[in-house]
Amino acid sequence: MTAGAHKNVYRKNFSLIAAFLVLITVTLFIALIIAYNLTSRYVENEFNLRKLDVLERAIKPYNDFFQNRIPEITSYQGFLDSASAGNYARSVFDDYSFVKSIRYNEITVGSKPENFTGNGMDISMKAVYEYKPNAKRVIGKRLVTDVANEDFRTMTAKLNSYIATADTSRVPTQDEIYRTFYDVQPSKISYLNIPRREEIRSYRELQKGRRTRALYKQNMMTFLLDVFALKVKNTHPELYQHIAIQPVVYDPLNANDNELRTEVAFPGAFADYKIYFNSEKVHLDAEVNRRFAPIAGIVLLIYVFMVLIGWLIYRNLNTNLKLFKLQYDFINNFTHEFKTPVSVIKIAGSNLRGDGELTERQRKHYGKILDEEADKLNELMNKLLSFTQIENRSIKLNKEEINLEQFVQKYINTFSIKYPDFKLGYAVAGVYNFYTDPVLLGSIFQNLIENAYKYSNPGQKELFIRIAFEKRNINFSFTDKGIGIPKSEINNVFKKFYRIENQYNQNGSVGLGLAFCKELVNFMNGDLQVKSKVNEGSEFIVTLPYEN
Amino acid sequence: MKKKLEDYTMLRCFKYLLLFVLLPLIFSCQDEQKQIPISDFFKTPEKSFIKISPDGKYLAYLKPYKEKQNLFIQSLADGKERMATSFTDNPIKDYFWTYNNQLVFNQDVAENEEFSLYALNVKTLQMRTLLTQVKTRMWLLNRNRKEPDVITIVMNKRNPATFDVYKLNLNSGLLTLYIANPGNITEWYPDNDGKIRLAKATDGVDETILYRTSDESPFKPIIKNNFKNKVDPIAITPKGTSFYALSNVNRDKSALVEIDATTGKEVKVVYSTDKADVMDYGYSRNSHRLEYAGWEDDKPHKFFLNQESQDIYNDMKNKLKGSVIKFVDRDTSESKYIIITYTDRNPGTFYLYERNGGKLTRLSNLNASLKPEELCAMKPVSFRAADGMLINGYLTLPLGNKKENYPLVVMPHDWPRNRNTWGYNAEVQFLANRGYAVFQVNYRGSTGYGKAFWSAGFKQVGGKIQSDIADGVNWLIKQKIADPKRVAIMGARFGGFSALYGVSFYPKLYKCAIVQYGLINFFTYIKDIPPYRQPQLQMTYEQVGNPETDANLFRAISPVFHTEKIKSPVLMFQGAKDPRANISEINQFVREIQKRNVPIRYVLKANERYSFRSEHNRMDMYAQIERFLEDYLKVKP
Repeated sequence: MTAGAHKNVYRKNFSLIAAFLVLITVTLFIALIIAYNLTSRYVENEFNLRKLDVLERAIKPYNDFFQNRIPEITSYQGFLDSASAGNYARSVFDDYSFVKSIRYNEITVGSKPENFTGNGMDISMKAVYEYKPNAKRVIGKRLVTDVANEDFRTMTAKLNSYIATADTSRVPTQDEIYRTFYDVQPSKISYLNIPRREEIRSYRELQKGRRTRALYKQNMMTFLLDVFALKVKNTHPELYQHIAIQPVVYDPLNANDNELRTEVAFPGAFADYKIYFNSEKVHLDAEVNRRFAPIAGIVLLIYVFMVLIGWLIYRNLNTNLKLFKLQYDFINNFTHEFKTPVSVIKIAGSNLRGDGELTERQRKHYGKILDEEADKLNELMNKLLSFTQIENRSIKLNKEEINLEQFVQKYINTFSIKYPDFKLGYAVAGVYNFYTDPVLLGSIFQNLIENAYKYSNPGQKELFIRIAFEKRNINFSFTDKGIGIPKSEINNVFKKFYRIENQYNQNGSVGLGLAFCKELVNFMNGDLQVKSKVNEGSEFIVTLPYEN
Repeated sequence: MKKKLEDYTMLRCFKYLLLFVLLPLIFSCQDEQKQIPISDFFKTPEKSFIKISPDGKYLAYLKPYKEKQNLFIQSLADGKERMATSFTDNPIKDYFWTYNNQLVFNQDVAENEEFSLYALNVKTLQMRTLLTQVKTRMWLLNRNRKEPDVITIVMNKRNPATFDVYKLNLNSGLLTLYIANPGNITEWYPDNDGKIRLAKATDGVDETILYRTSDESPFKPIIKNNFKNKVDPIAITPKGTSFYALSNVNRDKSALVEIDATTGKEVKVVYSTDKADVMDYGYSRNSHRLEYAGWEDDKPHKFFLNQESQDIYNDMKNKLKGSVIKFVDRDTSESKYIIITYTDRNPGTFYLYERNGGKLTRLSNLNASLKPEELCAMKPVSFRAADGMLINGYLTLPLGNKKENYPLVVMPHDWPRNRNTWGYNAEVQFLANRGYAVFQVNYRGSTGYGKAFWSAGFKQVGGKIQSDIADGVNWLIKQKIADPKRVAIMGARFGGFSALYGVSFYPKLYKCAIVQYGLINFFTYIKDIPPYRQPQLQMTYEQVGNPETDANLFRAISPVFHTEKIKSPVLMFQGAKDPRANISEINQFVREIQKRNVPIRYVLKANERYSFRSEHNRMDMYAQIERFLEDYLKVKP
């Protein structure tokens, strides 16, 4: 019946474990599939987004040029001439390779002739110079002044309308500055230096018709740019196979299905060009796999970890089950152990109660039996009790000095009387007195001697006790010629309720003896070891610290 | 045994006694650097611009009313004070007494560059508007005792670039053009009758002194010289044929001389010294004679030219021990004087001095909340620049016993017509009070040390001017006065440029810079010269350079082209209405520095020109300076 119950418990655990394994394996596969899909979608997004990084990097020098270097012209406050404009041009060519040439217009602002009515501000072009880079140097030449020049006309028209409406009580806003003093055309930027508030006021006076001989100077620069001189660096080669600058209208037809494409337009003066990106699907798949690998690794690691934890739980359950079985066996054995004296007492008791008169001999015999069996019971109970006490460390050591020779002799005498077929010998070397608890040491002796008798074949029941002093310790060695302990069991013999299953241990053993000894020795700060060979015998060595 | 015990208790008593004696001592040591609140240094003075009425019966002065300067009148007979104006919109900028006991004054309207001239009757406190002009500058040229109702003024009403002379009748408000400026005349000099006999003309580089014998005759040039030479007429002598002037023609340091008006030749040297330019003088309109000549080398000095003036001065000097005395104003009879006295630790105290009896009455203190003993001494120092030139300056050390390793603030002054002088300076005292040594350098190009020293600074912007400042700092480091790791440079206008240039090109010397309405672009600086100062343009070209031919130099020295060089912390102040600054340019400059992650703090005040006028803005500026220096200079590196 009990075995059946055990089997039930086993089966339940196994199916649970199986269910658990299946579940996490399924989860593993689902996780891997989702992760793969997410990764590939992520890579696709990256493909569409990372182009901005490329653009930002490519356009950075242009932005720097546009925001810092162009407004620098205003810092010259109209004082530029052909030489200083050349210097300025060189600094621009040095820093910004996409500027291909610079046209510098010297502009004067004055009043129109007296007979002229209407807008009296006269903006005229005094001279035009063109600068081009040439191997670290700048070549400048004077061009023919062409008043019909489109850039010049645009800028003067803008200036005229700004002067007419400007609010001179405040600094012009960024927006006004951009709309008036910049003219951004495809691959061309014109810039006019921003007049100071005083000048704007004077210009307005001129517009209203004030005549003056004074001439105000303005500097206008036109930068011709080349988009192909921009350095477009593929900062994400894992995403983009090919990057190229293309006109904004570029849209090739023969796109195959295995190709992904995206594009981003340039801002400002380069607005009629774009950066065109394309990659083959295979290229992106490789990127997906590359990014998926660590994710898959992590998922698998989690899986392995979970399986490991499952196995550990299973192992713990198994150990607990074995322990449970041992305790069950123990109770079983113990019950048997108790059963023998109890049944003897029971028989003696019923005989005593019997009808017939008892002879003196019978009465004494029964009395002896009752007395002996009660002693056995008492001994059993004491054993159990003291073992629990030792385990809980609730007893105290009562140390006293003993004479080892006398101590051993006493036990040999006792056991010789008890087991007449038991051959016992001893030797004490180099030590006479020992300071210890005689009761506990006695228990150890009793158990080990008893074991040696119990686990020896008839006719070979021999034991030799050797007591020796060694390195501050005292060694008690018990050598028998018994059945020995198999190597695989050596580690188990000191476990509670453990018995090697063989034919010898049916007779009244509870599997507590060695465990008890081990506990005792530990309690006395010593050590208990065993050396054994099957069918040749065992040697138990008790090592206790020697104190005087 | 008992004796021993007594000894012991006595010893303990003594120990406590010692502690009681020492504790206040330790405490006072720490207390030596008591922090004076910022507001005590930079608040608007209680009373300022004190002027006495021509009849000697009243005092007038400016005093804040609702945080704006207003005009007040005090009767000397009974000491009663009356508020004459109650402007709450704009402060009064300038005022003067007329010989018919009226006060004429104008308001400072920053927003629309207009001015109004008012007249006020002292007896009735009635106020009348005399003139209102937009975009015009004006100043008083002369008041005439014989014609008390008429004043002579100079105004650029006709043309912003030229100043004409007008006569204004105070009763009728009638304005008549007296002399039309042909365009090149910059100064006019009236004689004792208010008639203009002398004038100074300039073509930008050369200056010409003109003279005429009467109103009807034409001006004739009598002296012509380069702008490095200077003839500044003071007054026409009673004879009418010669005049007194400060002149450095044919000498290095200007002297007080008398010049024949018809020939332009020097008749005699009234006073000269080889120590410094004579820049100050006293002239009595009653006795028509010069009273004293003043000059300043390391400290201000006066030399008296007649016994009477000397006696008056000695009497004052005896009563006011140790202070510098400046004559501020006097009544017509020259019996009552307004004087101001100051030291390096005293911002200035006004006194009324009555010649009869030598009575001295204290009128007011420019800043009563400061105690001289809590301020720091300003010490004249001098050192040799790298090329051997002797450079003068002033060093102000914080109070206390420490004598070396101070954190240092260098304050270069404005340029090209400036120098540092000995006396009270609120910024210097504020910084010294906060524990910084303050160093002011009269680098080459500074005025007052003769024309050779002044012109040595020409075209040396960013060159010798800057290296003189650096040499001075290195000299202080060598003297162990300055901690080489804690030097800041701070200045206004040109000084602000020097500060920016310093951190750009001497990055190891200066740890941080403070720039007040600084100059960041010399192209703008030249462009900024207002129309009425156009005649000085050519002179500026000689001093700084010509923006067209020296464009490379301008580019090299202007910080606006070198934002990448600035790597040290910068604190910048700017008034948005500064007529001489291009705000968009400055904003752009700051933005670029910010983009380079250089710690720059930029304070732009909307309603300010240069030098913050609002008390609140001023306090904020110095609070920011205090915090900035604390962050970057106080901490031991």
